[in-house]
Amino acid sequence: MSSIPENLKYTKDHEWIRIDEGGVGTCGITDHAQELLTDIVFVELPETNREVRKGEQVAVVESVKAVSDVYSPVSGRIIEVNAALEDSPEILNSDPYGEGWIFRIEIKAGGEIDELMDHEKYEDHVESGD
Amino acid sequence: MILKTALHDEHVKLGAKMVEFAGWDMPVMYTTVMDEHNATRTKAGLFDVSHMAEFRIKGPAADSFIRKMIPTKLDKIAPGKSMYSALCRDSGGVVDDIFVYMIGKNEYYMVSNAGTHEKDLSWLNEHLTAGVDIIDESSATAKLDLQGPASRGILSGIVDGSTLGRLARFGFDYFSFEGAKMMVAQSGYTGEFGYELYISNEYAPSLWGALIENGAAAGLKPAGLGARDTLRLESCLSLYGHELGDSISLIESGLKWLVSSEDEYIGKKALEKQANEGAARTIVVFEATDKGVPRDGYEVFRDSKKIGYVTSGTFSPTFRKGIGMALVESSSLSLGDTFSILIRDKHVGARVVKRPLYKYNG
Repeated sequence: MSSIPENLKYTKDHEWIRIDEGGVGTCGITDHAQELLTDIVFVELPETNREVRKGEQVAVVESVKAVSDVYSPVSGRIIEVNAALEDSPEILNSDPYGEGWIFRIEIKAGGEIDELMDHEKYEDHVESGD
Repeated sequence: MILKTALHDEHVKLGAKMVEFAGWDMPVMYTTVMDEHNATRTKAGLFDVSHMAEFRIKGPAADSFIRKMIPTKLDKIAPGKSMYSALCRDSGGVVDDIFVYMIGKNEYYMVSNAGTHEKDLSWLNEHLTAGVDIIDESSATAKLDLQGPASRGILSGIVDGSTLGRLARFGFDYFSFEGAKMMVAQSGYTGEFGYELYISNEYAPSLWGALIENGAAAGLKPAGLGARDTLRLESCLSLYGHELGDSISLIESGLKWLVSSEDEYIGKKALEKQANEGAARTIVVFEATDKGVPRDGYEVFRDSKKIGYVTSGTFSPTFRKGIGMALVESSSLSLGDTFSILIRDKHVGARVVKRPLYKYNG
């Protein structure tokens, strides 16, 4: 069973967001997502300052066999990206909720957070096999 | 309907991730592609490739029939030897790439791809002559590939080691496994020393189990189609439907060395003309010079002009960068030239390198 921290919110596409201070969120892909992808060999990061809508494709994660899009869990402005992933994409496998964060976003509409899944709902979602 | 090999239950037991490939439910990986790839390069990998097709071609005219069907000089092989070749069309396009095993002047064994099984059989039957029988043994035959530097030691624990030791590259012989006849060829599709084993379906689970058990101490791992693909691509071995196809001539595929027969074979006129005068396109081998993973179908550019497309691409576990093969306009690229591959609207740098990227390690 993959790890699903209680303090995060989740999307059906296996992204997570942690709400930090000052209306900023940190986002990445879940442990389940990295398990499905296996060895991650390449990460394409978004440009900072880019305005994105909820559900918009913002990054790409590639394993040896697969290409997978990463979508933004909320609308807002990308304020920081994790450049360390460009040289060490394997961090996404080893620490998906910590060092493997992908981008930080200035959240536009706080209400969108409530539309995301909490850890229990996400666990059900993973178990349902979607 | 999806087909299952005789080892399907073994894959499920091992927790393999299964995918449909050419109508078969096949293991793509058991752990990760990287892990299985590295195990095969350094120790050993065991692959179930029972989906592949096997035809026995028998009769007093078997020899002349084979000569008509392939562009490669059949005299290169003798009983107990095998070789790589292709079934070509009049145009020089490729019906399939095959392995031909010479059992005797009146009997050959032909191994071909799963995805082209029916097409190959129709093609062979279309050109059938008197005095030849084609027996399709595919559905009764399991094929296990044992590949990697530890292969000989592992297989020696199961079959007579001294006979096995005498097998030369591309040689084959028969062994007994639990009383069943097993054909063992010293060859493979990974760039590593190894064997291809052919046995009746009913003995396949037991053979698989014995190899896994015997190989555990030597570091053998079951390996899926994912690793099979990265291994063959590093070694620049062609894959039908990618570097080879009905509308790509054998010369364009970079396999001019297969055109050597002096017999009258199908496609001779076109292939000899292209061998002498050149073909419109050619396969080049490349490595990415920027970060990014080239994949099948991505477009290839030089000086902002599209010159072709990637036929196979991947992240190379051995070289730790993007690698692949591309079909491009002839003379558009030479060894060492740089060009770009369009990956999601971005031009990613690449360079033409020598074939093969990974030299045979045997």
